[in-house]
Amino acid sequence: MDLLISLVINGLATGMLIFLLAAGLTLIFGLMDVLNFAHGGLFVWGAYTGVVTYAYTESFLIGIVVSILTGIILGFIMEKLIITPVYGNHVQQILITLGFMLVLQEMIKVAFGPNAIPVTVPSYLAGSWEIGEVIVIKYRVFIIVVGFIIFGIFHYILTRTKIGLIVRAGVINKEMVQALGINIKRVFLFVFMTGASLAALGGMLMAPYSGSIYAEMGMEFAILGFIVVVIGGMGSFSGSLLAAILVGLAGSFMAYYVPYLSLAVNMILMAIVLIFRPQGLFSMIRREST
Amino acid sequence: MNQPALLSKQNIIFAILLVVLVAFPFVADSRTLTILLTQIFIFGILAMSYDILLGYTGIVSFGHAMFFGIGAYSTAIMLKEIQPTIPVFIGSIVVGMVLAGILSFFVGLLTLRLKSHFFAMLTLAISGLLLVVAEKWRSVTKGNDGFTFRAPDVFKDRIVFYFCVLACLVIVFLILRRFVNSPLGRVLIAIRENEQRTRSLGFKTLHYKVISSIVAGVIASLAGSLYAISLRFVNTSMMTMDITLDALLMTIIGGVGTLVGPLVGSVVIEFAQHYLSGLARDYPIFERWIIFFGIIYILAVVFFPKGIVGSILTKISKWKQRDQVPLPESKERSK
Amino acid sequence: MENLLKLHNIHTHIGQYHILQGIDFEAKEGEVSVLLGRNGAGKTTTLKTIMGLTPASSGAVHYLNQDITKKPTYDIANLGIGYVPENQGIFGQLTVEENLKVAIRKETPEIMEKQEYVLNLFPDLKKFWKKAGGNLSGGQKQMLAMARAFVNDSKLLLIDEPSKGLAPIVIEKVMEAIVEMKKQTTIVLVEQNFLMASNIGDTYTLIDDGRTVRSGEMSELIQNDELKQKYLGIG
Ligand SMILES: Nc1ncnc2c1ncn2[C@@H]1O[C@H](COP(=O)(O)OP(=O)(O)O)[C@@H](O)[C@H]1O
Ligand SMILES: [Mg+2]
Repeated sequence: MDLLISLVINGLATGMLIFLLAAGLTLIFGLMDVLNFAHGGLFVWGAYTGVVTYAYTESFLIGIVVSILTGIILGFIMEKLIITPVYGNHVQQILITLGFMLVLQEMIKVAFGPNAIPVTVPSYLAGSWEIGEVIVIKYRVFIIVVGFIIFGIFHYILTRTKIGLIVRAGVINKEMVQALGINIKRVFLFVFMTGASLAALGGMLMAPYSGSIYAEMGMEFAILGFIVVVIGGMGSFSGSLLAAILVGLAGSFMAYYVPYLSLAVNMILMAIVLIFRPQGLFSMIRREST
Repeated sequence: MNQPALLSKQNIIFAILLVVLVAFPFVADSRTLTILLTQIFIFGILAMSYDILLGYTGIVSFGHAMFFGIGAYSTAIMLKEIQPTIPVFIGSIVVGMVLAGILSFFVGLLTLRLKSHFFAMLTLAISGLLLVVAEKWRSVTKGNDGFTFRAPDVFKDRIVFYFCVLACLVIVFLILRRFVNSPLGRVLIAIRENEQRTRSLGFKTLHYKVISSIVAGVIASLAGSLYAISLRFVNTSMMTMDITLDALLMTIIGGVGTLVGPLVGSVVIEFAQHYLSGLARDYPIFERWIIFFGIIYILAVVFFPKGIVGSILTKISKWKQRDQVPLPESKERSK
Repeated sequence: MENLLKLHNIHTHIGQYHILQGIDFEAKEGEVSVLLGRNGAGKTTTLKTIMGLTPASSGAVHYLNQDITKKPTYDIANLGIGYVPENQGIFGQLTVEENLKVAIRKETPEIMEKQEYVLNLFPDLKKFWKKAGGNLSGGQKQMLAMARAFVNDSKLLLIDEPSKGLAPIVIEKVMEAIVEMKKQTTIVLVEQNFLMASNIGDTYTLIDDGRTVRSGEMSELIQNDELKQKYLGIG
């Protein structure tokens, strides 16, 4: 029983981190029709800038703020420089975002050195609760709570505000949104920067959880993010939360019972979904064919 | 449209180049350079095979390293388990190619009906899976530790191997050039330009794309076989994303859809990698040489989507309107 | 009367295809101007070019005495042009309410009044206020699309084949609505259904193979059997 609970908590925490990465990916894909292979770069840059700030100021909170700012700034630069020139051309998009990913990853090594950097949990989030037999690690609960709060905020924005409405409409039909007098490029930039900041935040929250950060973690996590986006249905925000939790749980249980299969299981899941249900497992939105 | 005449300028340049490359080992007695050139040829073959996908059919595959790895392992395993002789080596190349052909057929059938993004992801997943399988199947692959094996004795002489690889390169180049200039190749180019339209003209585009991926897979496997021999060693890193990225980088920087471009890309990247990592001892920034290529690559995608060779060819054909080496693209449009 | 909209020698390329090869067209204020021509003639592309969705490669679009040829789509829309595309362009997963809300720029009293007005014009929309746009019937979708284009107090409405795929009785309703809206706005109508076109159109422009071949008063076209036979296949 206690094992079950800690595996679930593990899975949920990992799932939330993947969700932060996947949420941006899925919205950017749904709205802009861009699959951003450099998204993992935002994750890892968020982690590094945040962690370095955290180490320097000894404030985890300032670290978080800086990581989010990094995401916003990088997101702005990326959208303007990397994405805008290749709108509408899928092959070029894949190529250029992939190239940018490589550059971001190597720049990490230049800026922060090639070795992994250890990270500790801030004192007020360190330690664990003992509830009966079960040991619950505080930081994991923290991640889960933050994940749900972020989901709540963005769910509210998407369903209850004008900008959210425009984003949802844009996912369905960009042309029509423009024909109704909305500058979709501005919406693109907004969504891209938001998605980037979420990924960066995810990287920062990941750091104390895994205990160290390294340049390649961006790509590793991005692959999980892609899996989640595919399973959840490209463009579906709620779908990405469900899928992230599923992938997180699958990872945590597999890692315990059949460790060598954990990545493979997710890969197989993604392959099956792509082949048999490319619109995603949880996608409630089906794109209009017209 | 027309096959370049036997004595076209293009062919004369190639012939001169070939003579230089053949004479090279006799003139320059540099072991390092011979090995480097061999490596360039091998990756040139791989990059050309990638060009069939990216440059001629317009699809981005993240799984190309699978086929490279299959070739490498076929050769390594057969030479180790049977005996290190030339017939076994040739047999292993054939086995690798057949396996790669079969795999690429099925993978292609599964993946190629998907649109670009989804296709890229699915190839990523499948090659990721295959990598996991290879790493866990330690009794055969020895995982990431890999294993060494003996190459046929004649290849002890680096120069013999150099010629063997050069011959493969020339043959592959000639075959692929034939292939892309054939009616079939022309359909692939049409698919790259506008798949919808090609389909509406009555071509079963999926068939053609599958053929393209089989050709690419089979050639990649050959490159893998040669690569294994050159190292006398294999491990699972030969089927990782890094290999695919190398091929991608070479193809883009050299010039997609030109066949010669990927060769040039291979030269540029291998040389640069060699010398920049030499420089890195004094200037650590060069350890991150991939940054430079990443940036060049990004600039290439945006500003010179035709790469080095493509850009030069465009210049030339602008110079003289009726050049003998028209770009495949301009052929298509001039219909 | 003033020309609200004027297209002069418009050429439009989509990709490498030269679709429009010389469109001349004008719409006078307060009138219903009908674009006619067979399938594939370039009527839809003409409307898209006006909206800046497939921008013209040469020629000029003038609206309210300004050149809007090179303006981005959203600017054009914000100048008071409402667009009802061929397939209606309803956001299927959004409710009727949300579909209208996307269009509404500012919830000013005038616009809310306008919304009241269109809802009275199309009572079905009020009835299915919370229903997903994708679940509406064809006629209701058409009405929603027209309401959405009109709700911002548009000075000009571009409507692409509103009768397409609708039952005759529904077409009747759509026609009535257009006649009603005509009292408040100028309309450019693409219509294959000649009966409908001739009933509500004031002027016509015939398009064939991406070119304007003729334009004039609708009454004149109604009498010209030869023209109808040649370009519309009716007689
Ligand atoms: N996206 C496109 N790509 C290529 N050709 C197109 C595209 N859109 C329209 N066309 C072509 O342009 C011509 C005019 O189309 P359209 O404006 O839709 O005609 P209409 O509305 O009069 O039926 C047709 O021949 C059509 O095939
Ligand atoms: Mg039409």
